[in-house]
Amino acid sequence: MKKELVELKINGRTHELAIEPSALLLDVLRQDLGLTGSKRGCDESSCGACTVLVDGVAMMSCTLLAASCQEQEITTVEGVSQHGSLAAIQKAYGDWGGAQCGFCTPGFIMTVKSLMAENPDPSEAEVRAALSSNLCRCTGYSQMYAAIKSAIAAERNAMVEAK
Amino acid sequence: MGVETADDRCRNDKSACTDKRDMNDFSIIGKPTAMVDAAEKTTGAGKYTDDLSVPGMLVGKILHSPYPHARIKAINTSRAEKLEGVVAVATGKDAPNPYGILPVGHDEYPLALDKVRYVGDNVACVAAVSEAIAEKALELIDVEYELLPAYFDPEESMKAQTDLIHDNKPNNLEKDYHHAFGDPDKGFAEADHIAEARFIANEVTHAAMEPHSTLSSFELDPHTGKLGRLTVWSSTQVPYYLQHKLSLVLEMPMAQIRVIKPLVGGGFGGKSEVIPLEIIAAVAARKAQAPVKITYTREEVFWAHRGRPRTIIDLKTGITNDGRITCVKARVVQDGGAYCSYGVVTILYSGALLGALYDIPNIQYDGYRVLTNKPACGAMRGHGTVNVRFAFESQLDELAAKIAMDPAEIRQRNLLKPPCITVNGLRVQSYGLPECIEKTVERSGWKQRHGKLPKGRGLGIACSHYVSGAANSIIRSDMPHSTVNIKIDRDGGVVVYTGASEIGQGSDTMTAQVAAEVLGCSLARVRVIAADTDLTPIDIGSYSSRVTFMAGNATLRSAEDVKKRIAAAAAKKMNCAAEELVFRDDVVFKKGSAPPPAKRDQAEEVEVTQAGASVSGRVEGQILRGSLQQKRKDEGPKEWMTFEEAVVAAIDFHGALTGTGSYAPPPEARGGKHKGGGVGPSPAYSYSAQVAEVSVDEDTGEVTVHKVWAAHDCGRALNPVSVEGQIIGSVWMGMGQALTEEMIWKDGMLMNAGMLEYRSPSSVESPEVEPIIVESIDPEGPFGAKECSEGSLAATIPAISNAIYDAVGVRMHESPFTPERVLAALRAKRKDKALNLTEGVDPTDPTRFREHGGSLCFKGKGPERHALDPARRESPAVTRGAD
Amino acid sequence: MSLPQFRLLRPRAVDEAVAFLSKHGANIRVLAGGTDLIPSMRQKLFEPGYVLDLRGVAELRGIRPQASGAVEIGALTALSAIEKSQYLRQHFPVLTEATATVASPVLRNMGTLGGNICLDTRCLWYNQSLTWRKGCGFCIKKDGDLCHVAPGGTKCWAAFSGDTPPALLCLNAEIEIAGPTGSRRMPLQEFYTGDGENYRKLLPDELVARVFLPAESADYRGVYRKLRVRGSIDYPLAGVAVVMKRSNGHVSDARIAMTAVNPAPVLIQKAGEMLIGRSVDEALAEAAGDMAARTAKPLTTSALTPEYRREMIRVFTKRAVLAAANN
Repeated sequence: MKKELVELKINGRTHELAIEPSALLLDVLRQDLGLTGSKRGCDESSCGACTVLVDGVAMMSCTLLAASCQEQEITTVEGVSQHGSLAAIQKAYGDWGGAQCGFCTPGFIMTVKSLMAENPDPSEAEVRAALSSNLCRCTGYSQMYAAIKSAIAAERNAMVEAK
Repeated sequence: MGVETADDRCRNDKSACTDKRDMNDFSIIGKPTAMVDAAEKTTGAGKYTDDLSVPGMLVGKILHSPYPHARIKAINTSRAEKLEGVVAVATGKDAPNPYGILPVGHDEYPLALDKVRYVGDNVACVAAVSEAIAEKALELIDVEYELLPAYFDPEESMKAQTDLIHDNKPNNLEKDYHHAFGDPDKGFAEADHIAEARFIANEVTHAAMEPHSTLSSFELDPHTGKLGRLTVWSSTQVPYYLQHKLSLVLEMPMAQIRVIKPLVGGGFGGKSEVIPLEIIAAVAARKAQAPVKITYTREEVFWAHRGRPRTIIDLKTGITNDGRITCVKARVVQDGGAYCSYGVVTILYSGALLGALYDIPNIQYDGYRVLTNKPACGAMRGHGTVNVRFAFESQLDELAAKIAMDPAEIRQRNLLKPPCITVNGLRVQSYGLPECIEKTVERSGWKQRHGKLPKGRGLGIACSHYVSGAANSIIRSDMPHSTVNIKIDRDGGVVVYTGASEIGQGSDTMTAQVAAEVLGCSLARVRVIAADTDLTPIDIGSYSSRVTFMAGNATLRSAEDVKKRIAAAAAKKMNCAAEELVFRDDVVFKKGSAPPPAKRDQAEEVEVTQAGASVSGRVEGQILRGSLQQKRKDEGPKEWMTFEEAVVAAIDFHGALTGTGSYAPPPEARGGKHKGGGVGPSPAYSYSAQVAEVSVDEDTGEVTVHKVWAAHDCGRALNPVSVEGQIIGSVWMGMGQALTEEMIWKDGMLMNAGMLEYRSPSSVESPEVEPIIVESIDPEGPFGAKECSEGSLAATIPAISNAIYDAVGVRMHESPFTPERVLAALRAKRKDKALNLTEGVDPTDPTRFREHGGSLCFKGKGPERHALDPARRESPAVTRGAD
Repeated sequence: MSLPQFRLLRPRAVDEAVAFLSKHGANIRVLAGGTDLIPSMRQKLFEPGYVLDLRGVAELRGIRPQASGAVEIGALTALSAIEKSQYLRQHFPVLTEATATVASPVLRNMGTLGGNICLDTRCLWYNQSLTWRKGCGFCIKKDGDLCHVAPGGTKCWAAFSGDTPPALLCLNAEIEIAGPTGSRRMPLQEFYTGDGENYRKLLPDELVARVFLPAESADYRGVYRKLRVRGSIDYPLAGVAVVMKRSNGHVSDARIAMTAVNPAPVLIQKAGEMLIGRSVDEALAEAAGDMAARTAKPLTTSALTPEYRREMIRVFTKRAVLAAANN
């Protein structure tokens, strides 16, 4: 199939790309743009390792056609750490053992980011429910809860300090 | 909610790091430490194999067999080769040499030569410019098959006389072992109570989140002008075995092959041997004369498999009235799939690890590893021990009930008295099991709550153990199992070269911690270069939980080796004996003298740096260090030196500063002399005791695990966050096998080859796991450490089944305990209207072949296969167990 | 697994979308959230020449309560928007409950109500890769001529596995179908055929545009119970929705529907009717459960045995009826 020119807005930058209409957003990110942080863990939209934010909403990039995402703001895991430092959630995942093999981690980071944006003070049950789109085979999820708690507290403290 | 750091919690929570005094002797060991590669992982910057690409790289796609057992009569690739974009099509003839992970099991070919043995077996590989073209080309390969009768059930397969899966394996028996230790007959004669039952543990797989991926690239040789050196990037736990097998199959010297292990997205044993794509990619790259990357689809990951086999365990245990075990007899049949893989080792572990947990005077073991026309089973977390442990711990619970003894107490009555050698030749030195039981019992409120919770809710206890690496490597030799090199240069940077494979378990972090602790330098100085066969010394890989113990010891020795040289030079400068020096926190000081406060040290460095800069006017390390040294010299002998100063002194004295260390298990830990006695022995064993709290819905059979208390004796927790993560992860994976995970077969077709239907638990139903670290300080482990990543898995399954018994009074004999199995058991107990799941077949005692391999999920008639398909066997007594 | 090659059409309005559908007839698939279609295309269950991407058709999105108390929901409304709608939660709780159980939170951000209504029927012999299906010799629903779950049969038994339709059936929902000659409205109940292969009544040039919840269905108590192995991600293995209105301790109206055990979601008329005029107790709830279980025809299309799934329809119906009566 002939490639078509599309414009994608990713992590605040606009990219003009020639892609096939059947190209999935995940493949365009990984192969055309070298943004390999988003991972492919399954072929049936069930593992969540490819999760990105589309206009701030968590979605699976393995299930979106790239051409269908034009005019939308896409954030990948590469867009999370900014100003040369780890975001609180990234730091906390490291400190608390939230990541072991790390393959599912980018997807989780995106899911947690959207959770924290939507619900600044989630209960444990809400955190569990929110994480249930992403599968992890290493951690049993437990240490992620501790990481999320600590990241939320760190962000809150940073806000207090900023005031 | 305040900001609590992992370190704070460890300090606050006494149990997380048990021995405070010991901990204070260390500055890095025992402190919760973020993994050295954590930022790479949380930012997505880290590269896994599939994230890599090289110029001119092609995509490889594999054609798989649609039949479970067939002879290949002809393969015609010409239509595929003509497709625009296809560069090469490789078949079996392109690399006709057999291989296999075990020297006794070289029964696989990269691509089938004459036969396919399971649905999904590898037939051909297309290398093309894109995935879509490669997939299209697969459709254009014409293969002519002659179908053969297939075997799906191990007990049927063992009766086979004709159409064997491998011609050299009569009765489709890969291997059988028959062991008797002590006097089993006498043991049962001494017993007051004997329990006997059949247990079935269905097949599970690793399902690591990263699908396997390999990138192979040849270089042109400058001298011959032809294809020369091969570089392979692969998601592997065993880069050196891969290098070895590539050399066998491709008929290339190992020195011409470089294997690099990038980040690996989980292994659990699924990447602990050479997986077909790893060799196929090289074969295809050689044929295409271009780099080829193959990444499995999730379905292919399931076909590559190498998971835990479906296991049928006929178990008989005898005890005395006071709860002492007198004898255990196990007959174990493993449905191993179509190739040997680690099978011979698996069937041996199943027997050997009946020992070394409890004191059992008499053991009889009959193990059968059977070939069937399904993907090969191999090593999976808790290799060999998990299914038998489920059976044993369940039966022990039953026996405890028989003599009205607390299930925790019956375990305490049967403890080993180390140091000792068990009846089957396993040496046990450190043994934290008593403390593990004590701690879980205490934390879970066992004594007050077991047997006393409201109906439908219950507690169960179980124990398990695992090796800290096998004392004998796969290839019997006197070669060290791990070697580690260290290089320290004038910059004070410590580079550790280790062949150990980081697969997410924290291998690199452990290596850095051990090196930094020995050298008394900060973690930030240490850089770990790992698992690159060109750069790093040989290490046999990340499997059997061997890395901390063996590579850790090698790192420790390597660091001590290099430290000796630094100490000699520093001692000279400080006018004392090398033995008097203490290396700690980036400072070298005399034993007994007060170490300089860290603050002062830093201030001094800054001051010196500024002085140096002003003197030379240049800010270059060499000159700075030169002036630094000059300054020290001028000042005469010192009470202390910085680490960097000591390093510079040593380099001035010795030249290049390198150290090396290696580890080989001691001969006395290598086991008995009996046939198969080489599998099971380990330099040290980890121990685990767990209590699970569950509730059971008596109308639906649904089991909810509320909490698991898991105490694990890991010798010493080098990194408590990591140890806790490994314990929780093991327990969680055990829970998956106990409740939801199962590979479901029908006529050799895997019905659930994906993450949607193979149900790995989500966060919602995953329970809280309270990890309890127990430190028995092993005499031979690095700083006393043992394994922590596998030993806890096996106890979880029986802890849950025993908890189900406590909750509703039914004994589960088949895992996973799906709601329908639990409900069927409840109905049978209530003598209620039976839930007809098995059409009269007792799941614990199948007399007829159930075509789906024991699963209850698919009953009814089997598929009407292709009319010409002889795999559709005609005898209803054989094929249609569930009709 | 790559997607088949196709051309992507991105209409901005319903008219434009329908025009594309008429033009390309059977050679086109409609893409809404993509959570079912994309994996299915990877497995080569569909290899259309064109894919009609509805994501840009804004008019199909949104929850619009009307003065009468009725509600109009655009077919493209994300399931998470429905789940989070306070209005729906208050007046049509059964829909909120059912929606909240669909797949996982991220998939609900993507999946749409229209997509859940139109969800392709599922079977373990069908939802497999092309290579896999070759191995089993294909099946009636796709590329083959035999059924593996009902051997010898000529009918496809793939199970309808949407969670929201049983709730919508209980609410007497109607759907608006847009086609080349304009729109038509039909009760949702008439939308499904009961055949796993051609499971819905939708012409190739039509699409489901809107869902209407009538005012008369507002403010019923509602409960949805779903059988699944995991607490997330899974399709239902059985599902039961119950709505109920009570006055003076007696049921004045009730409806019960189920999913995932037949090739269509089924409104079990008799089970709902038997509750009317009576006060709910264990025995009555049990009787409704028995009635529902008799209507269920689960086969080996998914995990867990048919016997067990039928049994769970009985248990879940009973529990849902009791819960609706008591909440």
